[in-house]
Amino acid sequence: MALLEVKNLTVEFGSEDKPFRAVDSVSYSVDRGEVLGIVGESGSGKSVSSLAVMGLIDFPGRVSADALTFDGQDLITMPAKRRREITGKDIAMIFQDPMSALNPCFTVEAQIMEALKVHEGGNKKQRRERTLDLLNQVGIPDPKSRMTAYPHQLSGGMSQRIVIAMAIACNPRLLIADEPTTALDVTIQAQIIDLLLKLQEDSDMGLILITHDLALVSEAANRIQVMYAGQLFESGPADSIFAAPRHPYTQALLEALPERSEGHDRLRTIPGVVPGQYDRPQGCLLAPRCRYANDHCVKARPEVTDFNGRDVRCFYPLNDQGQPTGLTADTTTGETV
Amino acid sequence: MSFLDTKPGVPLLESDDLVRHYEVNRGFGKPSAMVKALDGVSFTLESQKTLAVVGESGCGKSTLGRQLTLIEKPTSGALKLNGNAVGNLSDKEAKQFRRTVQMIFQNPYGSLNPRKKVGQILAEPVLLNMDNLGRKEREERVHATMAKVGLRPEFYQRYPHMFSGGQRQRIAIARALILEPKVIVADEPVSALDVSVQAQVLNLMMDLQEEMNVAYVFISHDLSVVRHIADDVMVMYLGRVAEKGPTDEIFAKPLHPYTRALLASAPKIDPTQRVKAEPLTGELPSPINPPSGCAFHKRCPFATEECAKVRPELRNFEGREVACHRVEEIA
Repeated sequence: MALLEVKNLTVEFGSEDKPFRAVDSVSYSVDRGEVLGIVGESGSGKSVSSLAVMGLIDFPGRVSADALTFDGQDLITMPAKRRREITGKDIAMIFQDPMSALNPCFTVEAQIMEALKVHEGGNKKQRRERTLDLLNQVGIPDPKSRMTAYPHQLSGGMSQRIVIAMAIACNPRLLIADEPTTALDVTIQAQIIDLLLKLQEDSDMGLILITHDLALVSEAANRIQVMYAGQLFESGPADSIFAAPRHPYTQALLEALPERSEGHDRLRTIPGVVPGQYDRPQGCLLAPRCRYANDHCVKARPEVTDFNGRDVRCFYPLNDQGQPTGLTADTTTGETV
Repeated sequence: MSFLDTKPGVPLLESDDLVRHYEVNRGFGKPSAMVKALDGVSFTLESQKTLAVVGESGCGKSTLGRQLTLIEKPTSGALKLNGNAVGNLSDKEAKQFRRTVQMIFQNPYGSLNPRKKVGQILAEPVLLNMDNLGRKEREERVHATMAKVGLRPEFYQRYPHMFSGGQRQRIAIARALILEPKVIVADEPVSALDVSVQAQVLNLMMDLQEEMNVAYVFISHDLSVVRHIADDVMVMYLGRVAEKGPTDEIFAKPLHPYTRALLASAPKIDPTQRVKAEPLTGELPSPINPPSGCAFHKRCPFATEECAKVRPELRNFEGREVACHRVEEIA
């Protein structure tokens, strides 16, 4: 049984009759010891979907799902009190900006000990010892003196280590890292990702790594899912999804990377921008920006289907040569180059 | 004016040992300290070329950008345009200099005045610098520039909040271009943008370079972007240049240990391109109290006693400039 099972998770904001779907029927599962990477541009719903898993979507946001289970327990129907016991302890989260995730008024020690006090209990001495352990574990040099430091005295990389220490304080079984390195420099990013993966391996945690950096997930994750405008577009194993993308969006994203281009040629762009709240297309959400889109794509919304072992939300998934399949002469009215 | 005329054989923009120190107050009763944000940086930029400045935050890349555009005056060192020093320009001359060297800022959400319409934002530099133009000509110029950067004419009457990040950055690019500068200093122009939009803006910048013969000083921390757009790369560490040379050579064979670490830390999609290297330990030291000798020696796997004592100067090695004592052994 998967550690976390999400089936058709939908998060809506705004009025009942004309809701804005920030997350639109997203399904995934994470196993013990597995790293799931979620990539997407801003506005793709990657953060909101994980906030929903954590139970952090407040009114007026509405969360619904066919199933949202953690270790076999239904997170939606369980009493709020029980859910609070799980979030923060068994499911922990790391936020994007370490500088604003820490409370500037309290010392590092006080903030980590608070998490321990709520979930683990014990006396002050034990908690302090555990805190010291944790700081050692996340590689903070001279942890004893850092215990009494305030967040403003720490650098970005150091703050993120503190946030990680806080998250793993109660030995979580699932860790959600929402853009954990976006605010950091590359050399520090490499350190933090190495640390996260080491912790994940040591304790056999499940790890959800949310990022917009395609290269980062391709290195760190076992499985990757690509999101766009609230929908899951493609998911599959990390080593094959970027080698042979099945969804035109994944393919276009890869081609837009400077890393993939040769010399000083123009980059192949995706025209337009991610649709916002008021300009969601009626058919496939990518249709206005997709180079293969035809009339059918503009009118109807594709469902997620299995294609060669990959979950793809597209009427015409791509083959190994990067060409759309299933396009026949009579369905083709748009440009298919 | 003479200093604006290009001369053959003379680089367009030249920085000679540019230094910028900031005094910081450390609290009551304590002596103030010096932050050596920029500590002797020299480079030349030829017209229509792109020089990329890379490094981690705090290495002085943005400070360099501010000196190049005369937003601040350097503590010492000389900045030359077409071979003429621009240290002691009169107000009138400085105005002409700024017309030639324009800037694009990092965050398009902060660099556009929210109370002005796009048309007004773009007309302002023209109004201030080309007072011989009438209202009509000014508007024509704004429309022409908007077309150049791919903004639709109806955007003229819109406010910045109505645009996405990529469109805003186009407005910022148009504002920098409208005076037809020779140099544009772009400070992390695409770091706030998504991948697909980033590609659009990079393409635009490259097209405009060809069309308008402008040279870029491209400040960035993203190595893959730099590799794509730049002719030359200057790697900075704690206010000083670590390595400088042609882009292709630096990426093919980085010489300075810091450049190597930077390249190795950047994640890559293609598994065959991944370099398995020990990640760099430690963090950027404080520029108030930089380490003795080579600023990088505490994080450097090749450091020796000499590195801790003597500061390495930039010197030529295999057609590049590297500031490392042990470059011969490492290479």
